[in-house]
Amino acid sequence: MHVVIINGSPRVQKYSNTERIIAAFAKGLSEKKTTFETYAISSRKTWDMIRDAYIKNNEILIALPLYVECVPGLLLEFLQTLPKKDEHTRLSFLLQSGFAEGCQLRCGEAFLEKLPEYLGVRYGGCLVKGDNFGIRILDEEKQVQVTKPYQAMGKLFAEGDGFFREEAKKFTGPEYFPLPVRLMMGLVFKTLAKKMFQKAAASWGCSVPLDEKVWETDRKGY
Amino acid sequence: MVLLVDTTTKHIGKAIAEELLRSGENAPGFELIDTTGMHISHCVGCNYCWLKTPGVCAIQDDYEPILRKMSKADQVWLVSDTHFGFVSWQTKNIVDRIMPLVTMYLKFKDGQMRHVMRYDHQPDIGVIYTGDGDQGYLERWCQRTALNLGSRSLGVYSESNGKEAVSCML
Repeated sequence: MHVVIINGSPRVQKYSNTERIIAAFAKGLSEKKTTFETYAISSRKTWDMIRDAYIKNNEILIALPLYVECVPGLLLEFLQTLPKKDEHTRLSFLLQSGFAEGCQLRCGEAFLEKLPEYLGVRYGGCLVKGDNFGIRILDEEKQVQVTKPYQAMGKLFAEGDGFFREEAKKFTGPEYFPLPVRLMMGLVFKTLAKKMFQKAAASWGCSVPLDEKVWETDRKGY
Repeated sequence: MVLLVDTTTKHIGKAIAEELLRSGENAPGFELIDTTGMHISHCVGCNYCWLKTPGVCAIQDDYEPILRKMSKADQVWLVSDTHFGFVSWQTKNIVDRIMPLVTMYLKFKDGQMRHVMRYDHQPDIGVIYTGDGDQGYLERWCQRTALNLGSRSLGVYSESNGKEAVSCML
């Protein structure tokens, strides 16, 4: 099997969480002697090349971050440039998000389930996983550690059944967190997480509160 | 205040605005923004609007005035062409860049993680579309999008049901 992997994130590759996930996934493919080529849509200059690879190959995987409940606008624009193909081509997806629960990604997944039909190709399933927001701010060693589970998914994909196997479905984790977990996390969000975000912001040169109301609403002035 | 953001190639927002005007004294205050000729980039996912310049998008183009109006409106109607049964990429870019209205902070609401909103007032969201939209999916997406903004969905209407959408604006 030879897989064309397209990073559908609009973020530049250097800072792309999706890119780190693809790297781990591709390692899993390699372990199963499956070859691959990777592309990223963040630079429009590469679009002709990606389209060419899409046309010439029949095993395509688009990895993407969830943007407001669906695919990012830039990826939608790219998808509109693709020609119709036939069922010899299989299109699979790896959908990741910052929010951790599976329920957060289902609306995006529902769009991806129908997308192959619009493009005339066969659906290969969608690997769904949240809790990926922080990958880019981790050091390299930790990035490798947190993305390692995707390596197993690469191996699974190389076996040829797309993402339809039970292991791929379980990979998502909980649809909703149980109440005790939500209560504990809620407390962390109000305390430690706030401090952590403020610290990360300070390292980016931010000196104002993260909840600053920059356009304090003068609704009468509308 | 009702804000119509029209990205359609047929500029159907104009007909909706005219229908609103025909409502006479019931007509709400409204503004129609036709994005034709505007330069509105896609969201690049830099997270600056959360972590570097909170509440302000790093991209300097024609979008910020639209976002300011969206933040103050009671209703925002996305007037969009459709492709793959979904809104156009032009409309999706407008929605993707709404992130400065929410903060990096998190909370749980109705059992799900949500971002804490930056402002006290949130606009309700509706969609009016041209073409072969997937009505069921668009309704689902609009509801989820409103959930992200801590507001509610106003519903999804095809161009031919534009009058019904207008009745929701009154």
